Amino acid sequence: MPAILEAHDLTKRFALGSTEVEALRGVSLEVQAGEFLALMGPSGSGKSTLLQLLGGLDRPTTGSVVFEGRDISRLSDDEATRLRRERTGFVFQAFNLIPLLNVRENIALPFTIAGNDGNRGEYRDRVREVIALVELNGKENNRPDQLSQGEQQRVAVARAVVTRPSVLLADEPTGNLDYTTGGEILDALWRTCEQSAQTIVLVTHDARAAAYADRVLVIRDGRIREEITLGRRADHSAAPLIARLAQIGL
Amino acid sequence: MGLTRLSARIVAARPLRSFLTIIGVALGVGVLSASLSLGARLDEAISRTVRDLVGNADLRVSSFLERGLSDATVDEIRTVDGVTVVAATVERRTFLAGVPGTTAGAVTVLGVDPTAYLELHPVVLVAGAPLARIDEPSAMITERLAASAGYVVGSELTIQGAGAPVPVRVVGIIEGGGPEAGASGRTVIVPLDVARAVFAPNGVTRVDIGLAPGVTVATAASMLAERITTEPYVLASPADIAAGLRASTADVRTTIGWLAAIILFVGAFLIINTVSMTVGERAREVGLLRAAGATRGQIFGFVLVGAGLIGLIGSALGLAVGFGLSVLVAGSVRALSGFAAPVEGLDVASLVIALIVGLVVTVAAAFEPAIRASRIAPVEAMRAPLDVSAVRRGRLIWLTAVLAFVVIIALIAWPPTEVSSGAGGALAVYVVLLVATLTSPFILGPLARIIGIPLSYLVRLEERLARGSFARDRSRTALTLGALVIGLAMVVALGWTAQAARQRATEWLADVVPGDEVVTSIRPIPADERVREALAGVAGVRSVSPIATFDLALKGVRIDAAAVVGADFLEDGRLTFTEGDRATALAALDAGGSAIVPASAADRLGLRVGDHISLALGTGTPLDLRIAGVVERSIPSGGGEAILVGWPDALGPIGVTGANVFAVRFEPGAAGTARPALESTARTLALEANPLERIQGAVTEALGRVFGLFDALALIALLVAALGIVNTLGMGVLERVREIGLLRAIGMSRSQASRMVVTEGLILGLVGTVLGVAVGLMVGAVLLSMSGAFDGSVTLPWSSIAAAAGLGLASSVVASYYPSLVASRVSIVRALKFN
Repeated sequence: MPAILEAHDLTKRFALGSTEVEALRGVSLEVQAGEFLALMGPSGSGKSTLLQLLGGLDRPTTGSVVFEGRDISRLSDDEATRLRRERTGFVFQAFNLIPLLNVRENIALPFTIAGNDGNRGEYRDRVREVIALVELNGKENNRPDQLSQGEQQRVAVARAVVTRPSVLLADEPTGNLDYTTGGEILDALWRTCEQSAQTIVLVTHDARAAAYADRVLVIRDGRIREEITLGRRADHSAAPLIARLAQIGL
Repeated sequence: MGLTRLSARIVAARPLRSFLTIIGVALGVGVLSASLSLGARLDEAISRTVRDLVGNADLRVSSFLERGLSDATVDEIRTVDGVTVVAATVERRTFLAGVPGTTAGAVTVLGVDPTAYLELHPVVLVAGAPLARIDEPSAMITERLAASAGYVVGSELTIQGAGAPVPVRVVGIIEGGGPEAGASGRTVIVPLDVARAVFAPNGVTRVDIGLAPGVTVATAASMLAERITTEPYVLASPADIAAGLRASTADVRTTIGWLAAIILFVGAFLIINTVSMTVGERAREVGLLRAAGATRGQIFGFVLVGAGLIGLIGSALGLAVGFGLSVLVAGSVRALSGFAAPVEGLDVASLVIALIVGLVVTVAAAFEPAIRASRIAPVEAMRAPLDVSAVRRGRLIWLTAVLAFVVIIALIAWPPTEVSSGAGGALAVYVVLLVATLTSPFILGPLARIIGIPLSYLVRLEERLARGSFARDRSRTALTLGALVIGLAMVVALGWTAQAARQRATEWLADVVPGDEVVTSIRPIPADERVREALAGVAGVRSVSPIATFDLALKGVRIDAAAVVGADFLEDGRLTFTEGDRATALAALDAGGSAIVPASAADRLGLRVGDHISLALGTGTPLDLRIAGVVERSIPSGGGEAILVGWPDALGPIGVTGANVFAVRFEPGAAGTARPALESTARTLALEANPLERIQGAVTEALGRVFGLFDALALIALLVAALGIVNTLGMGVLERVREIGLLRAIGMSRSQASRMVVTEGLILGLVGTVLGVAVGLMVGAVLLSMSGAFDGSVTLPWSSIAAAAGLGLASSVVASYYPSLVASRVSIVRALKFN
């Protein structure tokens, strides 16, 4: 089965004042359709930069990203916009909801941006479906400031999956949440993967979050240092992963 | 680094916002300094004009009637205690032989007693010598007349008058344009006996009086009142003449003054918004400073120093703007007032006042944000967002305080003579503007929702997000909207006032002039000169109606009057009667003993049909006239509308010698051929013929000059408002960088991001236009009511409404261009990291 997402020898360099920072130093990876992949590493390791390149938010300095068989590393702005709108979904650490829109409107935002009415036909059904998926029934008309942080992040997850993207990219989605609420978000992500065969790439520095993934890539200093395969499990205990990380001295 | 320097760095950190605010302050201060300077320079020009007019005279006695003051009256004046110099003068407008008979070619002839005149009116000669004898056929002419006609000392002029033309020799040339303000610099001064020979007047036009040291004007006036009992006269001191001249420019000065105050008011919106935005944006930094030990006082000063810096730079720049504006404004005022003396340039005291006002308004506008900043608790600033409703309340309260301050400044800048009459109306205008501004936060939401409905069909997402962003900071949007509303309201209100004035002027002339062509003379033409017959003899002329305009004294007050032929008005269908029977009233006029009064005079004097008025004629026996009718509008004369009398009364007891206006009606369809023939005949008779349309056009043009100036100032207010829109939208983009980044991350295109901001500007412009037009109509109604012109005949100013709509939309869309560019260029990766 061909990979849905591939990275080939990616490098990314930033100018930071007068010095140049090399965030990624030749990263290559493959993500299979329906896979839940976690990119794990400490702060500044380059995992978020890698996620941005994989999702078409930024361009690599060298190397290429192949998404569904197409090189997306040199797309024009319009092409990259269309890719983000139609083929990928993002969840960020900060919930990034539009404060003046209610839950339903925030979730339907990708449809609205594409010029479709989220209140009609298939789009309405899909919005309802994802609201149920993230267990926010009854709160459709609430605004973000009327929701808990966990609920806000669940809205963000729903918004990311409502278009049924090929790949869902999540950047530290539990970073701002407490233990219990973070668990709810991870459960929600895992459900989408399990029930809808949603491909997920999750960036985290938290072993508990990474333990939900089928496979974990450990990144440090802009390079992939380790690949840990956990397999699809109903039990998301972090113990096996932590043991493995300890084993390799991480 | 001290807090002061940090404050300056914060101002510099937002160059665009600071720049826009500085420009806003500069425009406000510029208009204010130009307005104040204009007032000061006009006062100087008036003093100079009065000096030229009356010289060293302490009093001027002017004749009320056309026949002038008799020799007996002049002799009576000589015998008054304390009167040392008596300079009797005859003044007439006429033509010099060989010069085309148009108004532009006319000269003003002063007949004077050389000794007494030169004692009271020292003249500066650029060539030749002064007049020597009262009977010598000599003349002093102005330098400007000499230059335009090529006269030199020794040249011979021939003055035309009632009798045979009289030749005089130029003996001296007076520097500049001479003593007469209304003579366009074309004055000829001849000995009194020569003027009497030319014009054959019964008496003198006026007498200038010099008083002995220690004799007061009041004492002399009361003694003159005891002596001059047989002729009506007007007594004026230089101060009276100056007050009259000042009154003639008061309306323009007043309007410019309150437009300056409005621009400053709109500028204050911009400043409040800018400083408030900066405080909101820097709340965390302020909290950090507080946590690090800065006192509330230091924070308060920190914010005020930033505002003061903007105010100082803006005000300084405003002085340069003021100089440019003063040249433009003074040019218009000069053209309107007819002052020969220059009124351009800035006045030092005015500059200082404008600078201080600019600085104080800026600092005052920053007061509320500064207080708010000083109250930020360190922990609160680090954690919680600011209490938006408290911010809104604070801003609106402070806005009211700033308005009160601007009102006080406006009253200070107001011409003192106009405080009682104009200040009330201006205050009413202010109240309308204040109410509109204070209610706009509440109107904005619902109105934006309604206006957004059609837009949502075109740009659904952009409309929804744009409209929602108004709710983010209602008071900020409301202040921006308020500024836009005021600017547009001024455009509509002034446009409406101008339209009503033009409409009234045009209708007025058409309603009261019984002719297609108006033929004017610079002197009264007696009936025996048979000018009327000559004009009536032109092929295609159906009727010629003679009219004389003159002054009368009613209860000691000068009133405008005109002698007309009632039958001509009846036949031609002129005059709209509001009281009395048309045919009866006009017939009564021709029969004598009756008068027709305009409604304005009837209201002012409390007159009704059947009442009697008693006119002082100086003959000992007053003329008693019965009011035969009241008309909506009467013939324009002097500064107002004339009371109409019949020719029997005019030629008899009143002493009018002839008509100075002939209203000529052409046969239907004959105007094309008759007009050139009539104009040719008029020229041969030293008359000037003008089609009614040309007179209407001239009136409209004069009004256009006045209102053009006001419109320009209203546009400056609009420009300041547009700067506010750029500021608000720019701030909105900055606040939403993260949000825009997210939208871009989930698929919003650059053009959609750009459109979102433009849509925001468009909705703001649409709401501003709707409110601006509504408020403008309210302000216009107040202004029209003040001038008594708000009645059933007033039509809505559709062209001004269209102009305001165009300007409102254009300014908001143009103002949103840069912020939209910024929105479209937001980097997704950076935006998502942005805090």
